[in-house]
Amino acid sequence: MICCKECLDLLYDYIEGSLDQETTDSLEEHFQDCPPCISFMKTYKSTTTICRDTLNQVEVPDAVREALLKVLKENKEHPGEN
Amino acid sequence: MSFTQPKEDKKLEEALVREFQGGNLEAYDKIADIYQKKIYGLSFNLTRNQMDAQDVTQEVLLTLFRKIHTFQGKSAFSSWVYRITLNASYMKLRSKKKEPNVSIDELMPSFNGAGFQQEKIQDWSENTESLLFTNETRDVINKAIDLLPEKEKVVFLLRDVEGLSTEKAGEILDLTVPAVKSRLHRARLFLRKKLSSYFEEFSSRKVEK
Repeated sequence: MICCKECLDLLYDYIEGSLDQETTDSLEEHFQDCPPCISFMKTYKSTTTICRDTLNQVEVPDAVREALLKVLKENKEHPGEN
Repeated sequence: MSFTQPKEDKKLEEALVREFQGGNLEAYDKIADIYQKKIYGLSFNLTRNQMDAQDVTQEVLLTLFRKIHTFQGKSAFSSWVYRITLNASYMKLRSKKKEPNVSIDELMPSFNGAGFQQEKIQDWSENTESLLFTNETRDVINKAIDLLPEKEKVVFLLRDVEGLSTEKAGEILDLTVPAVKSRLHRARLFLRKKLSSYFEEFSSRKVEK
């Protein structure tokens, strides 16, 4: 039976689905007896999701978009001056 | 939005790059249009500053224009763009005063002699939905990511935020696959720990009500 430390070390590959069957089974056996590790796994997964959703909200502000367009246009007309 | 590329997109992009290398400026406009948001997003998440992200985006787009002849197609075009973006963002960060880094090791999980977890672990994963897009939550998440050491942060941004594969992140950062995995795992553990205090406190606030 694996301990919590081994369980957390395997989490990454478990979530990726890259563990072999035997290791997956022993990890899941550990989960059955260890609610804290289930909570850990769920919150580990959540962390990725909520951080990704938050950081992917970055949009290019209109003012920046316009400024960039202007620079790129000038650059095309007079390369090498910026 | 994630930036994993379907095959057709990749083909289209390779064609655009070849056209631009052959002198077609319209192809450049399309490339700039495709990449503007990616470059801005990544540099903003690294520098957390609109002016810096704008400067970096401008610099990268101009570099693509001027240096396209040096792109030889040995790696994917997108990897080349990401690498230029990271370098330009790092230049910005280096020119600023650095916040002292927290030690990531202090926030790793702790175990007793038998290898069992020592802290009480709460499951707050069900409570995040209603909180996700509030300003407070966004601030907490942004602050937690700011605290990540650079090495872990960049892996986290490329893999979990941009959605690149482990192999591709390794190619961009010149790291082996196990090194990318280990840094990403550490980043996730660190962020989980940082977010736990916030979400656990929120759950207890809800219980008190």
